[in-house]
Amino acid sequence: MKSVFVKTIILAVVFSAASQAQAKLRVVASTTDLRSVIEIVGGDRVDVDSIAKGTQDQHTIEPKPSYMVKASHADLFVAVGLELEIGWVPSVLQGARNPKIMHGEKGYLEVGPFIDRLEMPTGSVTRAEGDVHPFGNPHIMLDPVRVGIIAEKIAEKLSELDPPGHDAYTKRAQDWSAHLNARVKEWQKEIEASHVTKVVTYHRTLDYFLDRFHIALVEELEPKPGIPPTVQHMVTVVDKIRSEHVPLVMIENYYDPSVSRKLTEEVKDLKIEVVPVSVEGAPGITNLEKLYEALVNAVVKAKK
Amino acid sequence: MKNKGGALGFFLGMGVCGVAFAAQPMTQGKAFNPDISANFLGLWQHGTGISNDRTNANHNGFSLQEAELQLLSDVDPYMRASALLSVSQKDGTSDFGIDPEEVFLETTSLPGVTVKAGKFKMALGRHNQLHTHAFPFIDAPLIHQQLIGSEGLNEAGVSAAVLMPTSWYSELTVQGFNPSNDTLYKSPSSGDVGGLVHFKNLLDVNDDLTSELGLSATAAKNQFNQTASVLGADLTFKWRPAVGGKYHALIWSTEYLDGHRPKQADANGASQVNLGGVATWLQYQLDERWWVQGRYEYVGIPRSVGVSKQMKESALIAFLPSEFSGIRLQYDHSSPTSRPGKDDHTIAVQYNVTIGAHPAHSY
Repeated sequence: MKSVFVKTIILAVVFSAASQAQAKLRVVASTTDLRSVIEIVGGDRVDVDSIAKGTQDQHTIEPKPSYMVKASHADLFVAVGLELEIGWVPSVLQGARNPKIMHGEKGYLEVGPFIDRLEMPTGSVTRAEGDVHPFGNPHIMLDPVRVGIIAEKIAEKLSELDPPGHDAYTKRAQDWSAHLNARVKEWQKEIEASHVTKVVTYHRTLDYFLDRFHIALVEELEPKPGIPPTVQHMVTVVDKIRSEHVPLVMIENYYDPSVSRKLTEEVKDLKIEVVPVSVEGAPGITNLEKLYEALVNAVVKAKK
Repeated sequence: MKNKGGALGFFLGMGVCGVAFAAQPMTQGKAFNPDISANFLGLWQHGTGISNDRTNANHNGFSLQEAELQLLSDVDPYMRASALLSVSQKDGTSDFGIDPEEVFLETTSLPGVTVKAGKFKMALGRHNQLHTHAFPFIDAPLIHQQLIGSEGLNEAGVSAAVLMPTSWYSELTVQGFNPSNDTLYKSPSSGDVGGLVHFKNLLDVNDDLTSELGLSATAAKNQFNQTASVLGADLTFKWRPAVGGKYHALIWSTEYLDGHRPKQADANGASQVNLGGVATWLQYQLDERWWVQGRYEYVGIPRSVGVSKQMKESALIAFLPSEFSGIRLQYDHSSPTSRPGKDDHTIAVQYNVTIGAHPAHSY
């Protein structure tokens, strides 16, 4: 009886060790956008989960303890960085009590620092300017070309943690990056055909997307980053929309779009598009490519 | 691109040395500076039960309620350290003093556990672990003030917080400390060690709603060399919808503390051994920058003969221009049974600003 018991235990230990050896790499991403990249690059070699919902403003996520539980099991934590998640990722990591994924360890990756950034502040930064980011605009995931580079960085990190997967990760990242670059050319043609060259947004969220497709951001509805629209500022916005013949206002869908009512009353033929800016930010937006398609469509719909 | 930026920075640095030094927050010499932040709480209040004597720390009129200076940084790959120095008026004088409200190190490199050492807010329920600027109302709940004092239970010691291997967040914290708290412990010997256990559980009901249940117990020798103890329970529901959560949220918190203080008595010798009380409050975010809140408190379950029952209702409205500033208006009505028919009314306005690199508040 006793020997059967001992054998059972030995078998259990051996099997659990074996299943651990074959276990997939467990990755937790701060956002659904990063998760979308990791799903493509990692394929069936990784299990990936994410924290911020696509319908939420990534600046202001609350560090719920359930996120710490998620991160406590992770082999790798991937964040955008550039202070995008500064209000919550440090708390999640500290609460996770998982030394593998702490800042500076092999299991922690910030992709933002690898990317050329827009709006790098040149002088001093002060909060009198609102929520400014000292390391540049952090909404890098909305540029399909930069995301191609991010995919390759993620492939490098996955290869470091799971060397047998190196070739698969590298190929998937390169293929996807090439695919996105090809699609960018198609999207560029569609946007050019629409003759939409100027837009207004609520916050400086879409800058990388707009920059990629040569669309000028004329003004934001926020007077300063993180400060809600004021009556006085809306007057300025209306003036600029009129004088610069802006055909389209894109409102990130976690903001209250009711502020745009005044704009449509004041400016004839102005199109307002409430758009998702993250994967799973709206029904059907299940990956980054679909997100870019939705944004391109929003622009094209405002065709002059 | 990166090099160009660096070269430009260098060029500017050479050209206008003084300006560039002030302007570049990430120069090499400063790269390892800790995150530094300061928080200021200013108060104006008028209450029928509050003193007009300005040497009383809690007095009518204008006051600098508290200034908190915080330094936080990783020490090395194994731990991080935090110091929170509190500047506030000392009771019995109009002078201010600096107190090490929290000064501790905690591990970042141990799997499954955070070990902490230093002086820190003890894990007695939820409210006791909040810094003054993060209090849901301007003042702490009555039962906290009466059992553990207005500074709360904040002792020198060690702590281990273990994350349990459950699918929900379950944390068991065990703490050992020097029982110096003036109100509850003040044990005669500094060699005495007090103990505290806190069991905290959080469950996401769905993406919008989270519930939290905590149970705590602490015991140590008091000034009469007897073992005093407090049992605590806290229950919180937080609702912030995944869609539209920028504009609306609802928080309902309840906290109960039950203190047992052998030999404690009032001036007439009536027993004050048993003192328990509950506070329950609702916080509703009605727009991006506006909150309305209400609180009900009952002190005296259980209570010894020398303890008078007390009820208090509070209402608060807060305007938060940004995540770094807030102004709050609070009204309190309290009715102690020791003075029947003599209810107290208080009106208070508080501003709250944070500057610098302030760490995120816990959930």
